[in-house]
Amino acid sequence: MNRAPDIESKLPAGQFIGRILNRFGFRGRGLVIAIPTLWLLVFFLIPFLVVAKISLSEAAIARPPYLPIWEWSDGFLSFSFNFGNYMFLFEDPLYLSAYMESVKIAGVATIIALLLGYPMAYLIARSAPNTRNLLLMLVILPFWTSFLLRVYAWIGFLKSNGIINNFLMSMGVIDEPFVMLQTDFAVYVGIVYTYLPFMILPLYANLVKLDPSYLEAASDLGARPIVSFFTVTLPLSMSGIIAGCMLVFIPAVGEFVVPALLGGPDTLMIGSILWNEFFSNRDWPIASAVAIVMLFVLVVPIMLLRRAQAAEQEAAS
Amino acid sequence: MSHENATPDTQPWNDPKAVPFLQVKNVTKKFGTFTAVSDVSLDVYKGEIFCLLGGSGCGKSTLLRMLSGFEDVTSGQIIIDGQDQAGVAPYARQTNMMFQSYALFPHMTVEKNIAYGLKRDGLPRDEVAVRVSEMISLVQLDKFANRKPHQLSGGQQQRVALARSLVKKPKLLMLDEPLGALDKKLREETQFELMEIQENLGVTFVVVTHDQEEAMTLSSRIGVMTDGQIVQTGTPHEIYEYPANRFVADFIGSVNIFEGRIVEDEVDYVVVQSRETNTDIFVAHGVSGTVGQKVAIAVRPEKMTISKDPLPDMRNVIKGTIAEVAYMGNRSVYQVQLESGKRVRVAHPNRTRRGAHTLTWEDEVYVGWAGQAGVVVSQ
Ligand SMILES: Nc1ncnc2c1ncn2[C@@H]1O[C@H](COP(=O)(O)OP(=O)(O)O)[C@@H](O)[C@H]1O
Ligand SMILES: [Mg+2]
Repeated sequence: MNRAPDIESKLPAGQFIGRILNRFGFRGRGLVIAIPTLWLLVFFLIPFLVVAKISLSEAAIARPPYLPIWEWSDGFLSFSFNFGNYMFLFEDPLYLSAYMESVKIAGVATIIALLLGYPMAYLIARSAPNTRNLLLMLVILPFWTSFLLRVYAWIGFLKSNGIINNFLMSMGVIDEPFVMLQTDFAVYVGIVYTYLPFMILPLYANLVKLDPSYLEAASDLGARPIVSFFTVTLPLSMSGIIAGCMLVFIPAVGEFVVPALLGGPDTLMIGSILWNEFFSNRDWPIASAVAIVMLFVLVVPIMLLRRAQAAEQEAAS
Repeated sequence: MSHENATPDTQPWNDPKAVPFLQVKNVTKKFGTFTAVSDVSLDVYKGEIFCLLGGSGCGKSTLLRMLSGFEDVTSGQIIIDGQDQAGVAPYARQTNMMFQSYALFPHMTVEKNIAYGLKRDGLPRDEVAVRVSEMISLVQLDKFANRKPHQLSGGQQQRVALARSLVKKPKLLMLDEPLGALDKKLREETQFELMEIQENLGVTFVVVTHDQEEAMTLSSRIGVMTDGQIVQTGTPHEIYEYPANRFVADFIGSVNIFEGRIVEDEVDYVVVQSRETNTDIFVAHGVSGTVGQKVAIAVRPEKMTISKDPLPDMRNVIKGTIAEVAYMGNRSVYQVQLESGKRVRVAHPNRTRRGAHTLTWEDEVYVGWAGQAGVVVSQ
């Protein structure tokens, strides 16, 4: 509280923001909490409420294409909630199977990402500090290129006259090209490829902290390396595994770009449905209901993620 | 050298026919160009508590880790129970280790931690349960069997670590600073418990410590280490009374060192002339030196007598003034300033209540010690 004036006098911008925040009664610790709270409020809670509101309204040919859910008439505020959008989602089997399919694809992709990411994270955590930084750089490097470009690059790899098929045919391994593009296989490749870093990074952060003396103790007590992996390393990295899995699973459920570009016509993911409802059908209320239901589908994994992060923080302290 | 009567039962190291249980032969360990352990040789016999004593960073842990198999030896040989340990993985060795950091598995309860080693041996469940509960009782942790390590105090964690390393009944147990995290009182109690457990189970212990009192209390023999080398091996008594060199004398307990030159060199005594004392010092044992050679003489503070009256029956007497008095309850320690400017520490037992107050600052005193009290140590 008494430090704040020094900081303000040195930083003109800080001074300005600081004064504004001070006026609203934020000081010191309060400020530290206020900024992320404000961020979440503006960029998460308010949009969520807007979407929730639209999901309860009725579609209309108008601009915006839905009717308001409250109205002033004769000095009274009257509400008209329309739960029909939600009813519709449960009546039409298309939506239910799309949710199931999304959860299945995201789940399988998460398991594949875990099986690929764990050994990679383990290797990075075990390598010498210099090599470690280089390897971490390589994991993060793809983020420097546009995600869309990278998915297009996969089309180049997977299509019938793409790099993989051409190579296999020129080697004489196959006579006819494999159909890979526009299949679920391509969707798995795309999702695993896209989200693998989100698996590796939390696993790495967990594994690098593992005290090697636990492994020595296990070895001293008669455990072969493979046994100490399953009895010590794996259980101790559980919070990293959960964090990584959730960071892959949660966005993968709602993934839209990968199934749209790499998937086939029968790849039914909820993200594509949402896109269609919103842009093709211009049915904003249904699209919003789809989004809200998806959020509830994800509540359980989000809780799991939070618990894993709390456990991680506890372990660090 | 032995200054006690050799009784092969309790002192196998004095029995030429005894076969050491652990033999360390010219072991060297280098990390890059840095030599952490340098040409160490060591014999430890069955049932011993052998202490490796030395300051921080002198290579104690490294030596222990080579015995456990966590570090390879750069050169030399380690033989345990007649088996060369070269190339034997830690999990295949018949040894267990109690880690300096305890290294308790944080995700397992006390019970599971202790059971871990037995399960790895594939023992049947009920036998594991029996042995674990026996061990838990032995270290008095019955009430805590289902707690996780982070729910225990330092002393309790230390007991779990001990129990976990003992439960497999290893032939050789290595303990790296086992009592380092405990406060003084608890440490003293635990030292005796440790000795009792060791006696009951008949396990051979190699204990690493930097605490000379702990080493003196626990061990059958001590190996004093400095700079990766063992500078002296012997019983606590030998190490204390006959330190091989100045480092050992200084490291173990408190000591007064006088530097000088040999002026008389006979078979059973030497006389050393020292500028620090103004009088010649008589030492009642022979040395392998020559007249004129520079030597140092070590005299323990408690082997000196302090008095206001001359001390006619002491072989060595010097005069000085009391510069500091430290009252320690059971004894007082005086720092006496000699005419040469050197200060000498003299410990005087407080046998009567008023004894402590008869000597005080600025008193002119005589400090004396017998011919057998001093030892000549190499530099
Ligand atoms: N893995 C290692 N790499 C490089 N130097 C090491 C390693 N382990 C120990 N050392 C060095 O070896 C010396 C002895 O260490 P240590 O055996 O742990 O000493 P202490 O006697 O305190 O147990 C120290 O100087 C330490 O820095
Ligand atoms: Mg150490």
